[in-house]
Amino acid sequence: MKPKTREAISGYLFASPVIIIVLLFVIYPIIMIFYYSFTNFNPLETQKFKAPLNPQEAIELHLGMFQTDVKSVDEIESWFDVLTFIQYDVGINLNEEQKEAILKYFDSQKLLEDFIEGKLDTTMTSSEFMTTYMKEEKDLFKKYKPQIVGLGNFQRMFNDDYVRISLFNTLLYTIIVVPIQTFLAVLLAVAANSKVKGVKFYKVVFFLPAITSSAAISMIFWLIYSKPGVLNRILVGLFGNFGYQPIDWLNNPNTALFSIMLMNIWSTAGYFMITFLAGLQDIPNSLYEAAEIDGASGGQKFWRITLPLLRPQILFVIVMGTIGCMQVFDQIYFLIENMRNITISFYIYKNAFEYGNMGYASSLALILFAIIMFITFLQRRYIPEEY
Amino acid sequence: MTEKKWKIARIISYIVLIVYTLISLFPFLWAALVSFVPMNYVDENGITKGTDVMSWPPKIRVFEWPPKAFGAPLTFENYAKVFEVVPLYSRWFLNTVLYAGFITIGNILIGTLGGYAFARLRFPLKEVWFALFLGTMMVPAQVTMIPQYTLMVNWDLVNTYYGMVFPKLANIFGLFLMRQFFMNFPKEMEEAARIDGAGIGGTFFRIVLPNARPAVGALAIYTFLGAWNDFQWPLIITSQKEMYTLTLGLNFFKTSYYTFWQYMMAATIIMTIPMIIIFLSFQKQFVETGRAAAVKG
Repeated sequence: MKPKTREAISGYLFASPVIIIVLLFVIYPIIMIFYYSFTNFNPLETQKFKAPLNPQEAIELHLGMFQTDVKSVDEIESWFDVLTFIQYDVGINLNEEQKEAILKYFDSQKLLEDFIEGKLDTTMTSSEFMTTYMKEEKDLFKKYKPQIVGLGNFQRMFNDDYVRISLFNTLLYTIIVVPIQTFLAVLLAVAANSKVKGVKFYKVVFFLPAITSSAAISMIFWLIYSKPGVLNRILVGLFGNFGYQPIDWLNNPNTALFSIMLMNIWSTAGYFMITFLAGLQDIPNSLYEAAEIDGASGGQKFWRITLPLLRPQILFVIVMGTIGCMQVFDQIYFLIENMRNITISFYIYKNAFEYGNMGYASSLALILFAIIMFITFLQRRYIPEEY
Repeated sequence: MTEKKWKIARIISYIVLIVYTLISLFPFLWAALVSFVPMNYVDENGITKGTDVMSWPPKIRVFEWPPKAFGAPLTFENYAKVFEVVPLYSRWFLNTVLYAGFITIGNILIGTLGGYAFARLRFPLKEVWFALFLGTMMVPAQVTMIPQYTLMVNWDLVNTYYGMVFPKLANIFGLFLMRQFFMNFPKEMEEAARIDGAGIGGTFFRIVLPNARPAVGALAIYTFLGAWNDFQWPLIITSQKEMYTLTLGLNFFKTSYYTFWQYMMAATIIMTIPMIIIFLSFQKQFVETGRAAAVKG
């Protein structure tokens, strides 16, 4: 074998695990999310086709009679309404195409005969039941097929107040958190870089919130923010004389989101400070010395030397911060109780995994993706390369 | 700058740093304090009282024995109680160790192999794959989680360890980290091994991998930390309490035992301690990787 061929084979042997994982769990999902967003896909429906069914009991329930009381098909034929039976007693939501197929091809006669003969007291899945009694078009009932709804999901967004609220909250969150955490991180880094002692200690302490899970941080702040909690106690101690009343920070819709923003700034500023500190330490001291000889003030040095040379780090922190804020989920899930303060990623989760609107959730996820791409594009473009 | 100006700048810096140190530490210290206070205690008059952890000031007495806060003697009993009150807590701990452990092993194996291939080996379509990976870096979790979940439903892997771990076994950031490392790896060592007759696999496993310890270490730490703290994917893929990880368990705990602050905080501290230990033991890797990430951006 030629060495080149051998290298190609090894290359694929080495790279195939990562290629397979990325194809399965990143590329395939991106393709599927486009498809889902044009359908009314609902995972709960998938389960319905797999749900176990005892046809005899379902028919008894439908007719309101026991199998043993029924002697002939004629007795019950007029009571048996096939569409109602399948939708409510078998439990499959039918679309127009399926309804037509059932009216044409469903073998009610055979079903009722089997019922009277007592053959139906067994357990099968709903899809097995349907394929047994459909004479034609069995494929329609083998498994759940989402319906294509075209742009329906995207039209629905315009009339959905929660989309407006959650998008607004997400943008507000990003606009407030990102600048403050970036500024605070720069401030801390500059302070730590001014020839003070114990820099290592500060680094460790400021990094602590970043290694703590959002779940644990949420619990700790739940304690601190609670109405009888320590934050209110301190504020009452300080401002009680000026008429401060304890606020239920997390349950008051006017303060809940801001409380979480503050928590987020607390948990990320120290982490980003490390990034800036590394950047600051790479700036050669000779630049500052030269500026001093030219008579530059401290402020001038900061704006003319420090900030421009920190540009890669600032861009990194702003882009990473924005991506994080636009997707904020855990803290909202843990601490937000009212729907006025939800963010878009929380609303996507709710739709997909609680309301069973996966198609709609997929279209919302696409919108979020587009917004994130657009914002990071703007940031890369307009945070200037040179000052 | 004059000596005097430097002095003032340094004093301001110290004030900023010390104030922010207090702000950074206070929530942790407060949570720890609450976790050490018993639910009930007997006061000087022999009356049993419920401890009010919401009272202010906390009346901390460290120079007495036993040390006290909120009027009650400090104790470790809440930490044992967590496992009693929530019998599943130890199971959740185990689940989290398995979840984070398997994901870390997977990322090390798959990330180093892939990183080496993309850094050193020539194979057809390499640039295409790499561009594809680069293009997917910005895709948010909200986009991938729904189809990932439906895949797991179709494969009947919901509520299983396989389903939890499988989609997380490789990570594009990890791949890039390893690729970057191998690109800067001295070629001479590999060439020497080749001349001695080692194949590509032999060179990789015997020469390259043992020398990649710093990069593998950083990858391992970051992956483990991320998986340990992960919330969204376990939330989606598990519905049975037996399969929960600690982050999910904490949420369950919050909704069911919401007034037992002491237990809640003990549970929170228990799940945070392992990460603090790892962090304190590997500080250097954390800071170095943070620096590398920034240079890339």
